[in-house]
Amino acid sequence: MSFLRQLLFPLAAVAAAFAVGALVVLAVGDSPLNTYALLIGSALSWPDGIGYTLFYATPLIFTGLAVAVAFRCGLLNIGAEGQLYIAAFATAWVGIVLAGWPAWLLVPLCILTALLTGGFWAAVPGVLKARFGAHEVITTIMMNFIAVALASYFTQYHYKPPGDPILQTVPIGENAHVARIGALVPGIPERIPLNLAFPLALAACLLVYLFLWRTRWGYQIRATGANPAAALYGGIATGKQIVLAMSLSGALAGLVAVNEVLGYRYRYYDSFSAGYGFTGIAVALLGRNHPVGVILASLLFGALLRGGLFVDIFTEHVSKDLVMVLQGVIILFVAAEALFRGRGEKRVKSV
Amino acid sequence: MSRPRLQLAGFALALVLGLATTGCRDLSQATGDPGKLRVGIVFDSGGKDDRSFNAAAFRGVQQAAKDFPIVLRDAEPGDPASLEPAMRAFAEVGYDLVIGIGFAQTPIVEAVAKDYPKVNFAIVDGVSSLPNVASLIFKEHEGSYLVGMIAAHTSKTGKIGFVGGMDVPLIHKFQVGYEEGARAVNPEIQVIQNYVGVTEAAWNNPGKGKELAVAQIGKGADVLFAAAGNSGLGVFDAVEQLDKLVIGVDSNQNWVKPGHVLTSMVKRVDNAVYQIIGDLVNRRFQGGIHVYGLPDGGIGYAMDQYNEKLISPLVIQDVEAAKAKIIRGEITVTDAMAQ
Repeated sequence: MSFLRQLLFPLAAVAAAFAVGALVVLAVGDSPLNTYALLIGSALSWPDGIGYTLFYATPLIFTGLAVAVAFRCGLLNIGAEGQLYIAAFATAWVGIVLAGWPAWLLVPLCILTALLTGGFWAAVPGVLKARFGAHEVITTIMMNFIAVALASYFTQYHYKPPGDPILQTVPIGENAHVARIGALVPGIPERIPLNLAFPLALAACLLVYLFLWRTRWGYQIRATGANPAAALYGGIATGKQIVLAMSLSGALAGLVAVNEVLGYRYRYYDSFSAGYGFTGIAVALLGRNHPVGVILASLLFGALLRGGLFVDIFTEHVSKDLVMVLQGVIILFVAAEALFRGRGEKRVKSV
Repeated sequence: MSRPRLQLAGFALALVLGLATTGCRDLSQATGDPGKLRVGIVFDSGGKDDRSFNAAAFRGVQQAAKDFPIVLRDAEPGDPASLEPAMRAFAEVGYDLVIGIGFAQTPIVEAVAKDYPKVNFAIVDGVSSLPNVASLIFKEHEGSYLVGMIAAHTSKTGKIGFVGGMDVPLIHKFQVGYEEGARAVNPEIQVIQNYVGVTEAAWNNPGKGKELAVAQIGKGADVLFAAAGNSGLGVFDAVEQLDKLVIGVDSNQNWVKPGHVLTSMVKRVDNAVYQIIGDLVNRRFQGGIHVYGLPDGGIGYAMDQYNEKLISPLVIQDVEAAKAKIIRGEITVTDAMAQ
């Protein structure tokens, strides 16, 4: 029952968002019925719709988890975007430089690179916060710009195929490819880019859950997030927890590289991310910073990404900004609920 | 759970279920009447309102939608990462022809066309060898040669400028032809050249275009050729402010800043896409390379009421003579892309 109650508000928020969206569609002069038929029909059609929805959900699960883990430690990681960019470039770099290595060694090495690079990129703001009190919101945003610029620079001047009009690196070695689901499961065409990063994302959710709620380290992170002063008093080195949580958060964001580089484009591609790092914040918020919630929210946002494309193309007037409206209203309602609850909690605290 | 909350839950559930049922309606119906031929077009990052390259393509498909009984839908992806999903969306729901605008889409068209061998594709400014892809390419160097001649005839300072969009072989083709044409008139002429950038964003940065134009004018250039898509509009702004002349590109842009636009190197992308849609309607669609140049009017320079006072009949005579020689093969303009 409590699980159902957890679901209630997000569901109501989604329903309300669709109602508001219908008004917007009417206002711009299209049929809401037709628009939602496109939105939902394209997101749930078999096999392409479902395949793409899951494919778009995969990076959001990683970034949603990343934001959630940091949030459990009381940190707002706005830098998932930069972490995934730098990790994607580093992963592609390993895939290019060690292209000749056997797959059983190269793929794990590439994944490890994604984890370590993303983790390192987030650890820097973590250390700055723990040691100097620099606010992580500012530092992670700044690190975003550095990551994107660095990756673009190296792509443009060192790893771009000569004469290529598109800003992308040369392809990674075939041994670094992560298999597409279509190659493993009959009935799903291989053109759908859904790949093994999706089950990896689900596994990451399970591991994050076990880590946060079933281990001492997870407890220490959550204690630090809930009340740093109390945690410190209780003997927890909160500075260490901040660095640990940020590193974990960055490592999770870095795993987006597995989906995008190893499983989809097979190269680093400039501006490949459709704001996954930022949508991850919304995913974590809607999913209440819980792995299960993150999966559900990612599926919803993945479906919206897929459906938004179809709405954009095949309606007369509605653009894909409708999806932004839907996302915005959902977040607004969820945030409003937090406000509602916050009042209740305050009353408890003041006792 | 309190009663109002339960009601809320019921309402939410009903809405979600309702939405799911609407979603089960036939997707192909919702994407446009399947009884007609369906044509999709994917613009490049400049967007269809760039008054230049994409705008020309848009005019062409709009005209075709008026003249033929077809369903037309367009996609403006905005960023390069969204080009492929847009193109796949058209192919996935079974459109009959999907047109990609701009060379950057060539590898995407190739990949999608392989996955959907029954769908026809066309790519403007790119070349593919797949049987279901029509490659629509233009001899821009020859048209650029002619406007280069006009620029050299008109320049009083003996210095002219070239503002390119993205620094790629396709735009070098414009630049080299322009330089050769200018030198044919005045071997001493100085050509100042700059490019807006090295990524797709270079097509969509009028601020940088203006900056480059102002700098070139500062160095003495008085006629500027802008081959930069949407960024070119910044060059138009600069020449208007500093009272110099600009040469437009792709579309006839003479009307954009009347009195300041010397001419436009027109590339009839509109005719090319119109023709390929016409071929589809008349069941004559053929893959392979379709070349447009001076003889068929696919490339040319624009003369109309906005610029007739800017160019003397003597200059036109000279340019027309050169045009005839190019068509006869007596003048060979370097194709920078073929090297």
